[in-house]
Amino acid sequence: MSRYLVRHESILAILLVLALIVLSLQSDRFFTVDNLLNQGRLMAEVGLIALAMTFVIVSAGIDLSVGSILGLVAILLGVFWQNVGLPLPLAMMLGVFVGGLAGLFNGFIITRFRVPPLIATLATLALYRGLAEGISQARSVRGYPEWFFVLGQGEVLGVPTQLWIFLACAVIAAIVLGISTFGRATYASGANAVAARFSGIPVDRTILLIYTASGLISGLAAIIFVSRVSTTRSDMGTGLELDVITAVVLGGTSIFGGRGTIIGTMLGLALMQALKNGLALAGVKGDGTIVVIGLILIATIIISNLLRRESDG
Amino acid sequence: MIRTSLIAAVALSVVTGSAWAQTWTGGDDLPTNPLACDGTAAEAAAKPYDGGVPTNAPDRKGKEITVVDIPKLIGIGYFNATSKGIADAAKELGNVKVKTDGPTKANIDEQITFIDNYITSGVDGILFAANDPVAIAPVLKKALSKGINVVGYDANSTPDARQWFVNQAEFNGIAKSLVDNMAKEIGEDGAFAIVTSTFTTPNQARWIAEMAAYAEKCHPNMKWLETVEAQEDNVLSFNQATTLINKHGDELKGLFGMTSVATPASAEAVTQAGKCGEIAVVGLATPNAMKPYVEKDCVKSVVLWNPVDLGYAAMHVLRAVADGELKPGATSVKAGKLGELQVINGSEILLGAPFTFTKENIGGFDF
Repeated sequence: MSRYLVRHESILAILLVLALIVLSLQSDRFFTVDNLLNQGRLMAEVGLIALAMTFVIVSAGIDLSVGSILGLVAILLGVFWQNVGLPLPLAMMLGVFVGGLAGLFNGFIITRFRVPPLIATLATLALYRGLAEGISQARSVRGYPEWFFVLGQGEVLGVPTQLWIFLACAVIAAIVLGISTFGRATYASGANAVAARFSGIPVDRTILLIYTASGLISGLAAIIFVSRVSTTRSDMGTGLELDVITAVVLGGTSIFGGRGTIIGTMLGLALMQALKNGLALAGVKGDGTIVVIGLILIATIIISNLLRRESDG
Repeated sequence: MIRTSLIAAVALSVVTGSAWAQTWTGGDDLPTNPLACDGTAAEAAAKPYDGGVPTNAPDRKGKEITVVDIPKLIGIGYFNATSKGIADAAKELGNVKVKTDGPTKANIDEQITFIDNYITSGVDGILFAANDPVAIAPVLKKALSKGINVVGYDANSTPDARQWFVNQAEFNGIAKSLVDNMAKEIGEDGAFAIVTSTFTTPNQARWIAEMAAYAEKCHPNMKWLETVEAQEDNVLSFNQATTLINKHGDELKGLFGMTSVATPASAEAVTQAGKCGEIAVVGLATPNAMKPYVEKDCVKSVVLWNPVDLGYAAMHVLRAVADGELKPGATSVKAGKLGELQVINGSEILLGAPFTFTKENIGGFDF
């Protein structure tokens, strides 16, 4: 198994380097510090959620509701701050907390009522988006104070603020998934839940925590998103879950669970963002870019499946 | 699931309950300015230039410029028509290289990413139609700070994030035209519903707010039932319109389509429900999409401006800005075959009065 992981990630790393070389030959504006940092800014929200999604998918689950949680938290941030009149820092914390609750609710229906994650989060995808639209009453909240924009539009030591947050979270996620007991429990629950249960691993608690973390981090992404675009709308983050899942799956995490790493997710994410940006700079139109990303996703998975079959056989 | 649907039901009733107390859902909360019922022209108030200024823009006078056009979304008739107008104008000008690109869904974050990438690629000018006036502002300000000329059309951003905005028709003008046509078709006491894109899309929200104000002033007995969101999605618009027809039954006399997608989809829903002639559809749409329904007498009035002209004017405005001919404080601008266009509201350029397509004239248009 570990040999396979190394292989998939090496393929990805090689692909990423190749893509970077080809794309920088296509446009001299691609491989500049400015552009790369800017891309880091743009992918931070998807990246943050992809970290949590790696845990979710490794545990043989899926969380389709992340985009809706993002929308809900964004709206609540505005409502708590402007309509309820809470101080903005408190509103931000409360927003992230509600994101966590939304995730906890996902985990609760999945573990307590044994609803398959796909169905459970498909339902909450609609539920949370509906709540966001209902609560917002179709009004967007604007006029945030200047300091708030530091999070989404500002820089710390020349690097976009949210990129620091993303990198810090990535390191924590890599350590937790890679070497902690919780990480082991995640792999075990995803590989074989029944066996894990009989081995005394608290499968339900693990899954509950994973979905809660997914909600929390979606809430955090929402705050960053609002800060980046300086307004809240109830349709924020629509379709975001697909970008997140694409990055995770491209990163070699098995959709059947039990397999996947944070490094893989990071590589998948970087490859996806590099393609989106580089192809646009090279003059490929938006629709063409989506086609290329789709093809690359299929190609990497086929290649690593073939290699895996060879090494297994 | 029971728990889920219960919560959804509670949430839904909270929403609809509170909506009744206010003006029409889907409108914004900006002040409205309804026109006179008999169509007397409103007095235009003079306003100083409130647009932005690019920093250190190079001298582009007469030089070839690269321009990118980023509409709300690509692949729909309306924005195909505007990009045709933009391309026509670029060809006529001869010194502009223009390309249209954008998201395939009307999505703010994707549109922002597109603009960001084009700033990096180093274009001279950006034409845009905003999915959200505030969300798009930071990225447009970034373009201005890099010396790029920025002109909006169709859907505005906050004024200081762009230089000029080509206004296809004033909101109160469109609102009057839509409500008057609806009143003519369903009578002064008819009930109607609205199919819009999303409640926060700037144009649609503004029109709905102005329609509410104008209807209250000039057609006080008409009854607004509800406003539904349908993105700018064909299937969703059709489904939403069908739901409205089934839900309100005989009470529903008219449907407003607020987007070029919602109007034909609503007309199709009325046709398939066999309610042609019973439920009037009045809305904004491109003539080609509406021809089948207008010819079958299912739809009598389609309100719009000419989007080809809109794109054409936007391109001319951008060229005039790049050449330094259109400066803050100007009162009009030359736009090729369209002649002189007036500057209104400080930094907007008015395309003209809205146009109602009917069975008699729709055959003469092809876009």
